[in-house]
Amino acid sequence: MSLPLLSALVFLPLAGAASLWLLPARATRYVVAFTMLLTLLLATAVLFSYDPAGERFQLIERATWIASLNVQYLLGIDGLSVLFFPATALLFLGSLVASWNMIHDAPRLHYSLMLLLQTATLGIFAALDTLLFFVFWELTLVPLYFLLARWGATPASPQVAARYFLIMLAGGIPLLIAFVMLAASQAVPTFDLMLLLAMPLPRAAQTAIFLLCLIGFGVKVPLVPLHTWLPQFSLAAPGSLTALLVGLKLGAFGLIRFAIPLAPGAAQDMHWLLAGFGTLTLLYGAVGILGQTNLRVGLAYASICHVGLAVLGLAAMTAQGVQGAVSLLLSFSVATGGGFLLLEFLRQRTGSTDIGSLGGAAKTMPLLATGFLICGLAGVGMPGTSSFPGEFMLILAALQSHTGAGMAALFGLSVAAGAFLALYRKAFFGPVSRPEVEQAEDLRPRERLVLVALIAMIVLIGIYPGPWIDVVRPAAEAWAAGLVR
Amino acid sequence: MGGFSEILWQQQSNLPLLLILQLLPLLGAALVFAFGERSTAVIIGKVVALVELLLAIVATSRINPTLPALQLAERFDLIAYHVAVDGLSLLLILVAALLTLLMTLYGMSRGMISPGRLFAVLLVAEAGLIGMLATVNVAWFAAYSALELWAVVYLLRRWASSRAEIHALSRFIQYQSFGWLLFAAGCLVLGWGHAEATGGHWSFDLFELAATPSQGKFQTAAFYLLFYGLAVRTPLFPLHGWLPNMAQHGLIAVAPALMVGVKVGIYGMFRFVLPLTPTAVAYWQPYIVGFAMAGVFFTAALAFQQTNLRRLLAFAVVSHTSLLVIGVFSLHESGIQGAVLLAANFGLAATGMWFIVGFVFRRTGTTELNELSGLFERIPFLAIAFLVFGLAIVGMPGTPGFDAAHLVLEASIATFGALSTVAAALGNVAAAGFLLWAFQRAFMSPHKQGKGGQDVDRTLPMEYLVCGIALAAILAIGFFTEPWLRLTETASQVAAARYHR
Repeated sequence: MSLPLLSALVFLPLAGAASLWLLPARATRYVVAFTMLLTLLLATAVLFSYDPAGERFQLIERATWIASLNVQYLLGIDGLSVLFFPATALLFLGSLVASWNMIHDAPRLHYSLMLLLQTATLGIFAALDTLLFFVFWELTLVPLYFLLARWGATPASPQVAARYFLIMLAGGIPLLIAFVMLAASQAVPTFDLMLLLAMPLPRAAQTAIFLLCLIGFGVKVPLVPLHTWLPQFSLAAPGSLTALLVGLKLGAFGLIRFAIPLAPGAAQDMHWLLAGFGTLTLLYGAVGILGQTNLRVGLAYASICHVGLAVLGLAAMTAQGVQGAVSLLLSFSVATGGGFLLLEFLRQRTGSTDIGSLGGAAKTMPLLATGFLICGLAGVGMPGTSSFPGEFMLILAALQSHTGAGMAALFGLSVAAGAFLALYRKAFFGPVSRPEVEQAEDLRPRERLVLVALIAMIVLIGIYPGPWIDVVRPAAEAWAAGLVR
Repeated sequence: MGGFSEILWQQQSNLPLLLILQLLPLLGAALVFAFGERSTAVIIGKVVALVELLLAIVATSRINPTLPALQLAERFDLIAYHVAVDGLSLLLILVAALLTLLMTLYGMSRGMISPGRLFAVLLVAEAGLIGMLATVNVAWFAAYSALELWAVVYLLRRWASSRAEIHALSRFIQYQSFGWLLFAAGCLVLGWGHAEATGGHWSFDLFELAATPSQGKFQTAAFYLLFYGLAVRTPLFPLHGWLPNMAQHGLIAVAPALMVGVKVGIYGMFRFVLPLTPTAVAYWQPYIVGFAMAGVFFTAALAFQQTNLRRLLAFAVVSHTSLLVIGVFSLHESGIQGAVLLAANFGLAATGMWFIVGFVFRRTGTTELNELSGLFERIPFLAIAFLVFGLAIVGMPGTPGFDAAHLVLEASIATFGALSTVAAALGNVAAAGFLLWAFQRAFMSPHKQGKGGQDVDRTLPMEYLVCGIALAAILAIGFFTEPWLRLTETASQVAAARYHR
């Protein structure tokens, strides 16, 4: 590979952010749109240059970064990560459309931060050096903090932003310590993921590293009881921002990429811990939807519920489990991310996503209501939607390895589906009571574009999941084989 | 017990660089003073500060950081003048020179009272700092320390007018003179111990003292005196009482930056206390580290109580100083390296924050947190710079704090185990907490009536320059850490090797 395709992909948004300040202010949104489209194009190119039958890690770019600590600038993709690049690019594009007319204060700064966030997110998926990964991981916090504190949806946003920042910073500490311990456990200290995967660790070190990683990533996933920031965040942030945060399950990706393969023995010994947290998170999320009166918080709990399912499936430690988890996470980028974007459209129209002030929204905004229903159905794993293949594989994996937990998961999912539909009914049906709802206009052409893209992906992937699953399968099998040593 | 070795300056350069580094600021001070209040004085001050920085860079390029010996050494036995540097001290010399340059720029960005006098004193203080970092003689260290303290006291006295300011000044003098006396007494004990061991030959030279380390009680006494003397200076919890008052009431930015911008206290512990009193250090290590760990949390808790931005920053300094002490007293090569890098990072970042507080004060006339609001709208560049400096203190990736903190953590895991490391690191998150909280109240909160809203001026070019240089330095070192690690690696290994017996 002569062209550094991955570096170009990761740093393209950053270059776009820099160019914003050189070009006239009125061009800002168009430059951002152009950058994001180009990023999507590059992400697709990366996807096509990935060969599922080839090596485990591909498109590797390696350069020395900090020689005396043996830290490298090391990027690469495998079947588990490659699909996340187009998903990230799409979601950012959707988020841009959702905030198109909403940013009146300091738009350049807003979009620069958004592009910086995109670079950091792409970097997380591409980094194969643990320390480089950590740098990108922490780098997401700064733009998120400003985006929420400065352009939040409520007056309490700055406090929520600070809280999120601190919780994530605290979560970063166990991760950093785990990575340093991993590096120090080698004969020659190294942060190279591929070398670390090839070297078995002593069992005692594995236990510590697995637990530290579980805490560090668990905060981001979020696993119950480390989830408290998410409902708050979803309420304080505009939907376009929450979509980015919730749509991209960075925490679960971290578990798949680092926590389990780097400490395979400990992970297998403590599969019950993973399964237990997964089940607890799933049930808690499902029950959590029940009491909600706000669609955004409801959707946040729904996403907590589903990520719990993904973690439970991972606990099976089989190729099927991880394949299901990756498919489900990808489907959520579309379904949950799309759901939050549609809620942002709704909030822009009615000023609220509280069911008490909505009632009958389906009458005046049928397209929006339909779109949200489809996203919601995908979110609860309805057959024929993109989530179904992943969910099916996960439940199968869970039932085989942890039968009790699998049954509980099935129960939890039906509760979640019921609760979500109840919430939906209250918000969108019934008589129209408020003038805001009555005068609201249905989706405009630009928004319809987002809607069509979302639905097309949900339905197409749901009906014909073959190609996507084939991309993930070889890597998932290699992943599972790496655990058995 | 490894002794010290040195390479004389003649072999490495054709000028006695260290001598010039020490004399240039003094000369500059004399010139500036002579020109009095004329504008030439101000220009000379800035030029001298700039040349000093360039000289420091030249000196850094002349040494070979991979050699274990101290380098560019100069001796003049008649007055026991003996200087030499290694990678660690050069790093701090660079910081000192850079900060002085920034302070001269800062002082000019909006007409301060009598800049000529200010610059002269500033350069004297710089000479004191550079001298402390260059000398390898304990008595000279004490003398330079006195010179620098005099400069700071002069600054505080000249601009102290209110009752609170005078109170802060007297508190400062009490603490510092006490600390200085402890240190001087420690020097005497060391010299006496040397005289006992060698039959009447008094010496304060690091090389000679390290060759015949003092025994038993002498060593314990010397350790105590030196350590506590430096702890006041550092300032290490619970000996920090002078800093918050001085930060709140003293001359904004310049005075605190001179005292804590360059961590000579930590440097002194590393350079003199570790090699000269090895047995006592090894014995007292757990207590010192335990105290420092408690200090991280206690001061963080105190910082949360503050309602004044300046006092809050002072507590932030005390809190992170404890982290430095943990690094140095891990007696581990990564710990020492990390601590010195962190010291440089904290120095830059904390001084940058103090500058911004100064800029804010010039606009609003207050640093009370509940009177400040919505500054982000008017001075976004300064706000973002403030946040970046805060993140550097917390050890965010992309700032030098990250690699340094990661080295300290590594050493701490190796020496004290994972649990206490996690505790210390959580203390750091607490620091992030109060810095972010302060940032939020001053910069992000919705604009209130009164001060701090639409009526504040936009960022001035000189402010862009001062903060821009500091920001660029932080980010450049953060993303290209390699040369700095190379500069400090061997020196830290040498220091740690004394404890691997």
